[in-house]
Amino acid sequence: MSESTFMGVPRDQIDWSPRIDYDKCNYCMECVEFCPHQVFEVHEEEEQKFVVKNPNNCVVFCRACGKTCGVDAIDFPNKADTTKHIKEIRKEMGENE
Amino acid sequence: MNKSYSVLPCNGLDKCAGCVSKEVALLLTEETDSKIICPVFYRVADAKYNKLLQETPLLVIDGCATRCASKLAAEKNLKITQKINISEEAKAAGLTLSDSLRIGDTEKKLAENLVKKLIEKERTRTENESSEATESEATESEATESETTDHVTTKKEAYEIYKKDKFVFRLPKKEGFYFNENDVWAYVTGRKARIGVTDYAQKSLSDIMFFTPPAIGAEIEQFEEAGNIESGKAVFEIISPVSGRITAINESLLEAPELINQNPYEEGWIAELELTDFESDKELLHSFEGYFQVMKRKVDEFHV
Repeated sequence: MSESTFMGVPRDQIDWSPRIDYDKCNYCMECVEFCPHQVFEVHEEEEQKFVVKNPNNCVVFCRACGKTCGVDAIDFPNKADTTKHIKEIRKEMGENE
Repeated sequence: MNKSYSVLPCNGLDKCAGCVSKEVALLLTEETDSKIICPVFYRVADAKYNKLLQETPLLVIDGCATRCASKLAAEKNLKITQKINISEEAKAAGLTLSDSLRIGDTEKKLAENLVKKLIEKERTRTENESSEATESEATESEATESETTDHVTTKKEAYEIYKKDKFVFRLPKKEGFYFNENDVWAYVTGRKARIGVTDYAQKSLSDIMFFTPPAIGAEIEQFEEAGNIESGKAVFEIISPVSGRITAINESLLEAPELINQNPYEEGWIAELELTDFESDKELLHSFEGYFQVMKRKVDEFHV
């Protein structure tokens, strides 16, 4: 189930989701099993056995799947930049009202 | 004897982290009077360990993020006194565990350091406990409440309620409460704030069995992690609604994390902070009205 907005900002305007470093990943699938929001999709037959399928399902500022990663293959966008970006969009939205 | 644990280790015989768990458990039995609970045997016949569990504090050693040992403890309704996660500890120490199932020098060293830490922790815990006991005897009639405990009134009318089937979700209406969409509240008075999780968060997790507090003195930015709580279901990162310096944590949660389930807005609060930039933080926070709508939407979407 996607959250359509975050603090009133359309979710698809906020770039927040896990970035996978496939060179480090050992495909233990802990992150996939952990995430309750169907952010990942398993592709058993392919070289990259899973992908970030639904980035906008990811809860903005949640980094919990990264904690499950023993090899530190999961990264997230910069939090301060994201916060700034959200504030800017809100400001624009307020001005356009 | 004090300073010993009943140790419930991960039994991950097919992972290095599991083998380190076993090593930590073994070292503990050698250096203290601790006793190991075999998770495999415990699952099929718990009677053997019941007496031991009643008499000694429980240490749970998880190997990896799957947290099998924690989940077993939750299943058996055990009270966890202390807990470590080998993979997290290795990460924190900047070590990479090998792929081999026989532990090497790095793993051995890690296990030894962890055991030292655990023995020290148990020593401090028992000392604190006995000094607290003496203090409380001495000041039994005195009020020992912290200065901020009357933040919220316990009156029913202080909460708005949203019901879904048998679940009741409360939300405090009191002015001064702010919420982020990560289901964490902040109650702000002047330059100070108290934070905690919302009813939605605690109900989604169900029985909370462990609380990892943020470090006192730590500077935390808005939306940064301020500790976590854990149930049999999941680990929940507490994403701080405000930026500031941690000045206190709710120490009663260390002994009784279930207080969060009882009331996450009052006795189940998490931490207190000295605010650094609340005016700016506020821009990305909801007041009661805003979060109530968010909470209703979440309840309708997830609690079907």
